[in-house]
Amino acid sequence: MSVAMPNVNETWTGKILEVTLGAGPDKGGTRGKTVTVGGETTLPFLHFEGEIPNKPVVAVEVRDRAPDDWSELLVKAWGDSLKDPAAWAAKAEGLGAEIIALSLDSAHPERGNTGAKEARETVRQVLKATSLPLIIYGPGQPDKDNEVLVAAAEEAAGERVALGNCEEKNYRTVVAAALANNQVVIAKTPIDVNLAKQLNVLIGDMRLDRDRILIDPTTGALGYGLEYTYSVMERVRLAALTGDSALQQPLIVTAGYEAWRAKEARTNDGVPTQWGDWAKRAVLWEANTAVTLLETGADILVLRHPETIPLVKRAIAGLMTRAGA
Amino acid sequence: MLIIGENIHIIAPAVKEAIVNRDTMAIQRLAKAQVERGAGILDLNVGPQKKEGPEVMRWLVPAVQEVADVPLSIDTTNLEAIRTGLALLKQPGMVNSTSAEPERLEKVPLVAAEYGARIIALMMGKSGIPMTAEERVSIAIDTLVPRAIEVGIPIENLYLDPLAMTVAGCQEFCPPAIEAIRYVKQGMDPAPMTTIGLSNVSNTVPAEMRSLLNRTYLVMLMAAGLDSAIADPLDDKLMEVIRIVERRDDSTGAGSLLLKVYDRTAAMEELEPSDVDMSDPEQADIWKTVQVLLNKVIYTDSYLRS
Repeated sequence: MSVAMPNVNETWTGKILEVTLGAGPDKGGTRGKTVTVGGETTLPFLHFEGEIPNKPVVAVEVRDRAPDDWSELLVKAWGDSLKDPAAWAAKAEGLGAEIIALSLDSAHPERGNTGAKEARETVRQVLKATSLPLIIYGPGQPDKDNEVLVAAAEEAAGERVALGNCEEKNYRTVVAAALANNQVVIAKTPIDVNLAKQLNVLIGDMRLDRDRILIDPTTGALGYGLEYTYSVMERVRLAALTGDSALQQPLIVTAGYEAWRAKEARTNDGVPTQWGDWAKRAVLWEANTAVTLLETGADILVLRHPETIPLVKRAIAGLMTRAGA
Repeated sequence: MLIIGENIHIIAPAVKEAIVNRDTMAIQRLAKAQVERGAGILDLNVGPQKKEGPEVMRWLVPAVQEVADVPLSIDTTNLEAIRTGLALLKQPGMVNSTSAEPERLEKVPLVAAEYGARIIALMMGKSGIPMTAEERVSIAIDTLVPRAIEVGIPIENLYLDPLAMTVAGCQEFCPPAIEAIRYVKQGMDPAPMTTIGLSNVSNTVPAEMRSLLNRTYLVMLMAAGLDSAIADPLDDKLMEVIRIVERRDDSTGAGSLLLKVYDRTAAMEELEPSDVDMSDPEQADIWKTVQVLLNKVIYTDSYLRS
């Protein structure tokens, strides 16, 4: 006897915008590969309910100066390439990265205080070393962000890079740089759906195309507020699908940064033996953080450890396979 | 609609200064103005006042009573200050507030009962403010009402407060507060009284947008059965909206829309776009505000522009 099951599919009125990073020679850039994310008309991986035309992608973090506060596991894994952003980017591409997230960390006043000239040189070298699209982060200090992100946007003119972070305090400069050089911005707000929407409204007021914005809602790591940030992202995505046009951009999350701040990943000093093998635990911490965020709508995951890349990509491939297909 | 005037409030810098300096004239001006504009009770929020509580009350209560012939609401967490304030009252007053937290619930209602005062009881327990209406109502039924009965507070002196939370950050808490009021007034027998700290719904919202949120929310709460609100009687537009609802004055477009908001909410229906003349900016703003208060459109500081 067969039981009739009611159809519980939702019909959403909204759609996530498609955002493309990277431009090939036909579009005025030099990228060998470009990435398009977004386009969903349903919640994550509900293939039976709507369209998910683009799979989520993995970006790998590369810094313009060897980090002095990274876990020794990360330092060991990347080896000498940490000292050269171009070599680091090439290695990341070889390991499966789909985007290079270049951080101009040396511009920070306390970490080298380099300026526009050095930023241009780094961007030039990294563009040469990889065929992948770039995300370019400033050092996170408003004045220096303004200085080096503007220089980077000009140096990468036509390449359709994503400039981050574009926050309430500096959005005007970053958006202006994106407008002038045909780039994308990463709009970052602190785990708050109202502020995320407000920043998008403000960016929209400057007439940046809606498909040139990525939303970074700020996230937590497994064990460190992940479930709260999960809910915020879920709320952003639900609002977008129900038609809130100020929240319909793809979501980018810095899962690597968050996971490697967690003691469970960062260190093996003074931890109980039951926690098991450190290297394995650390990679799983990052991968689990990333995969959880995938389930709530992350479109771009910025990761750190080489071994996390294939794990997360395997999860994405599985989740993108339609049941029964 | 009973308005419990909120303006003598320690958070306001001018009030804080007046209390510190024992500036009787300044306090009396605020008290008089609120009564003239329709406050039925005056709330005296002096903050925690850990050290000086009773002393502040000995100055403040007589000062206010000299110019205001309405009941006073003693609003502090200092139990001795509550007792001192109540003892000085010329007519039965109010205590603002208890909650279901064991320590407050044990002591505060006893004092209110002793002085025959009304009491505001927040529908929250030890673990904070519940999200759903059901949880808030459960706290009232399981804890607040039994305690009031136990200490001999008549049910008509118990004012349940479902707690207004700001749309700027706690938007999902706004609709359940309306439903909690509805449940208390329609589902409980005998039904206690209800109140709400109205202005909290617009905390951290830009000043020029606060009244619109407050008064629109008030219309929806009134439709659910709200008896009183701790609110700003000096807000003319707020007081005008109360008048419109109570007199059913549909002589203006906005007034007629507010009555629709009221009727729809009372009938547990939603306002429809066809209820609204969108070409009237005032009506369009009310529509947008209702959508935000129902958590259907995510709040931002620029929600009226979109």
